Amino acid sequence: MISVADLLTNNRVPGNYFAADTYIRGDLELGILENRRGERLIAIPETMIQGIYSGLEKETGQASLLVLFNCGKWWGKNFYTRFREELTDYYGTALADLPMVDFLQCLQQCWLTYGWGKLELDHSLHNRGFLLIKTWNSPFAALAPQNKVPYCFLEAGVLASFFSQLTGRDLHCVQTTCESMGAEYNQFLIGVAPRMKKAEELVAQQLDHDRIVEALCA
Amino acid sequence: MDSQLETLFDEAESRYLKSEELQVLNQYVSSLPARIDAYRTLRDRELEIMQWVADQLQVALPNERLENLERSIKNALLVLRYCAMGVLLNDEKFVQDKLQGWVTQAVQVFNTYAIDTALFRLLDQRLASVMSPQQVALLTPQLNQAKAILLQSAEITTPA
Repeated sequence: MISVADLLTNNRVPGNYFAADTYIRGDLELGILENRRGERLIAIPETMIQGIYSGLEKETGQASLLVLFNCGKWWGKNFYTRFREELTDYYGTALADLPMVDFLQCLQQCWLTYGWGKLELDHSLHNRGFLLIKTWNSPFAALAPQNKVPYCFLEAGVLASFFSQLTGRDLHCVQTTCESMGAEYNQFLIGVAPRMKKAEELVAQQLDHDRIVEALCA
Repeated sequence: MDSQLETLFDEAESRYLKSEELQVLNQYVSSLPARIDAYRTLRDRELEIMQWVADQLQVALPNERLENLERSIKNALLVLRYCAMGVLLNDEKFVQDKLQGWVTQAVQVFNTYAIDTALFRLLDQRLASVMSPQQVALLTPQLNQAKAILLQSAEITTPA
């Protein structure tokens, strides 16, 4: 027999924690943006992203993409910590015990609410040892300078670090398609670091996504 | 709050509200006692309503895995709570905002269309016997909205 009362935790049915209207709060007088736990959020204007891109390009030239990636890794590390804390508190269960679907929905809603666009996880390369993430409407791609290679190194860093922390393995992330190059969506391949080196080279050779995947899985 | 109402308050500095606009406000205010009443019924009888649905659901789908049934019932509890708030606010968008992209994926992954369809049919049945027709009328648009989102790509079978 199912007891409905037992399905409630502290008389609560955990729902959409990151729903934008309840997650983001602010006090205009204090000029403060907060999440629903009262932790500070920061809003980044477009000009700042553009400024970071062009400033880095001027200061570090070729290395700017690597710098962005490493900044992303730091960001992702803190993002993961916060994400885990918030969900653990809200669901009253360890992140590892959260059903995969719930975890994924939280991540997607969180990504959306943070203004980073739509995110989807593609399992098709799962058996090959890769994770494929697709994102739409990325502000980091929208503001990227025209380039011959995918430009969302910041996001790639965030994803690499997020999934490394989640799985406890050293994972690397390489972007294979980019909205800034006219692609319909951004694709990020995630896998163990040594295997991703090859992916990086293939992207640098400007191969398209399918051929990169083909070469990696060959 | 209902977006039609919300826009009324945005124009304060430019003009006074027309009588038909005040009428909209009036309608909402005069419907409020009934809304609170419906809300109170849902709040106080939540467990009883859902327990009945859960019991019937188990009888109707004896071969279904327990965890799938429980998952669907949990979702329905959430839906009903959101709908109750939607009734209070007279805002269908409230339910939509809360559910969009949320439970839909779980429905797809766990393939619980059949369970959810049966569950909501039972829920409708129970609500009709527990609530007054007026209360049901307030809840129905909210619940339909939730059902449409939840069973997005599935065919929603409405009882004749």
